[in-house]
Amino acid sequence: MTENMHDPGVSNKMPSSSGSNRGEGNSKSKTSRRSFLKLSVAGAGVAAAGAAGITVARRMEGIPQDTLPIPINDDFKPIDQRNVLHIFAYSKALDQKHPERTKKFGNYNFYERFKTFYNGPYRKDPGYTQLERALAIGGFALLSKLHGPYGLSNPDGLLSSWKQEMLAKSQYEFPSKQEASQVIKSAAALYGAIKCGITRRDRRFDYDPLYDIGQERELSWERDFPFEPKTVIVIMTEMDYLAMSTAPSWITDATVGNAYVEALKIAAQTALFLRQLGYKAVATMNDMGMCGPYAVAAGLGEGGRNGQVITTGYGPRVRISKVYTDLDYVEYDKPKTLGVASFCLQCKRCAESCPSEAITFDGPSWEPTYSSDPDYIWHAAKGVYKFHNDTKKCFKFWIENDGACANCIASCPYNKPDFSHHRFVDIMNVVAPSQVHGLMKEFDILFGYGTVSDPAAVKKFWKKGRTKT
Amino acid sequence: MMELMWYVVGFLAGVSGYLVYMLSRKYNLGVIGLGSLIIGLFLILFTVAWSVGSVLEGVPRAASMGIVFFAMPGIVLLTFTAKRFLTPRYRKT
Ligand code: SF4
Ligand code: SF4
Repeated sequence: MTENMHDPGVSNKMPSSSGSNRGEGNSKSKTSRRSFLKLSVAGAGVAAAGAAGITVARRMEGIPQDTLPIPINDDFKPIDQRNVLHIFAYSKALDQKHPERTKKFGNYNFYERFKTFYNGPYRKDPGYTQLERALAIGGFALLSKLHGPYGLSNPDGLLSSWKQEMLAKSQYEFPSKQEASQVIKSAAALYGAIKCGITRRDRRFDYDPLYDIGQERELSWERDFPFEPKTVIVIMTEMDYLAMSTAPSWITDATVGNAYVEALKIAAQTALFLRQLGYKAVATMNDMGMCGPYAVAAGLGEGGRNGQVITTGYGPRVRISKVYTDLDYVEYDKPKTLGVASFCLQCKRCAESCPSEAITFDGPSWEPTYSSDPDYIWHAAKGVYKFHNDTKKCFKFWIENDGACANCIASCPYNKPDFSHHRFVDIMNVVAPSQVHGLMKEFDILFGYGTVSDPAAVKKFWKKGRTKT
Repeated sequence: MMELMWYVVGFLAGVSGYLVYMLSRKYNLGVIGLGSLIIGLFLILFTVAWSVGSVLEGVPRAASMGIVFFAMPGIVLLTFTAKRFLTPRYRKT
């Protein structure tokens, strides 16, 4: 390091040591004191930089919270599963019971329209040909075999069966709660989970009553479910970045389906693992309870404007499954804040990209801001302070598109492939004040990320071969 | 490819560190000169990492925008350091 770290204009005027009339010993001691001072300053600088680095790294993983970062009113009631749109749209009985829902949504019959889903003709536009349809059917294929014919929201499927098969007679005793959690997470990771979190069962997040479309009957937690769940293990799988960037093409369906199949497989394996350890466990997808709040409670991410859980490293490009178990000798994860809520306030890119205008441009609220008519907002979760989106409009677009859409995932600035240079931006996001977030969104657009309805993306997906990004 | 990129960036970072050391021994850079030299070199290295990463992930536009937004200020800072500080006037005796 240079002798003179101060302003060069000043340093140039300083007499050189050879011209000094001070004694040599005195000069040496002054020099060594100065060197010592410099070393101390440098050491303090390195220590400060190290501490700042650790703080930023911790903040990037999220700041643990003692309470859920989703404010919920005390009078919040668990959601009746009959009011879940995908349950309602599958059920003939519910359709007949609620003609007002059809009427209030411009005489749009969800049940009849849903029957047409995936049955439309191939098209000529890129992303909608026989090729993409085949890919999507392949992606979802096992799901209908393994979970059942009524979609992911219907409880008690094949791999998600409530039967406690292969339950060990003796219970394995974990040496500590911490070890129990580590063991479960290691098992889930081995089965293929990209993230796994463990949280207490929270009745507010469970559907109650549950509803089985196959039998068109209400199910009760107390009467029908085989045990009292104490803990929920939340599992995440990744959707392919390139496939997602073709949104809203049928290729996105393929990666959505594929990630769901993986999520179901991992949940089923983890549930069986627990049963083999003597603990009751059931794998579940979107049935039984809301994946989003459970994932947030398990510290895996934060809720975004687009209604998805935004996670570190993947953004909203994940699918979620869960395992309900009676094992409660575990160390629970804490929810974390990642700064998503403040980013979403400025960003709104998903809302701008949503072809059905289902996503709100408004801030978070306790109730939907798009309507207060109970016959229109029958599916909404009231009493939760969040972004309220009109999922009926989303559903309608899916039917028109004859495939899922996912523009709100593809366009989100948090959706990035796992390349290290994006971690720099993650750091920026954490350290930058919230006013800068709007600017960061504009830069994201300028840099060419999050484009949707792009025929070139379809071409790129097929041309890429299977080199995973 | 990313591994190779990090190897090259690591090598360049080492060379940059040595360059900073040598220049600061030879010239009275002061805080401003040293700061702009270090930030300028960092921006250039960051641009290499950013642009190669962007091309590999298939977003060439991000690579070119990276050059505009990161490399340009880096070059400006390095030019400023060279013109202002790396002159005989600031050379240490
Ligand atoms: S999936 Fe598409 S239609 Fe539905 S909310 Fe997202 S962007 Fe809107
Ligand atoms: S696109 Fe923007 S507003 Fe929407 S979820 Fe992502 S960060 Fe939030």
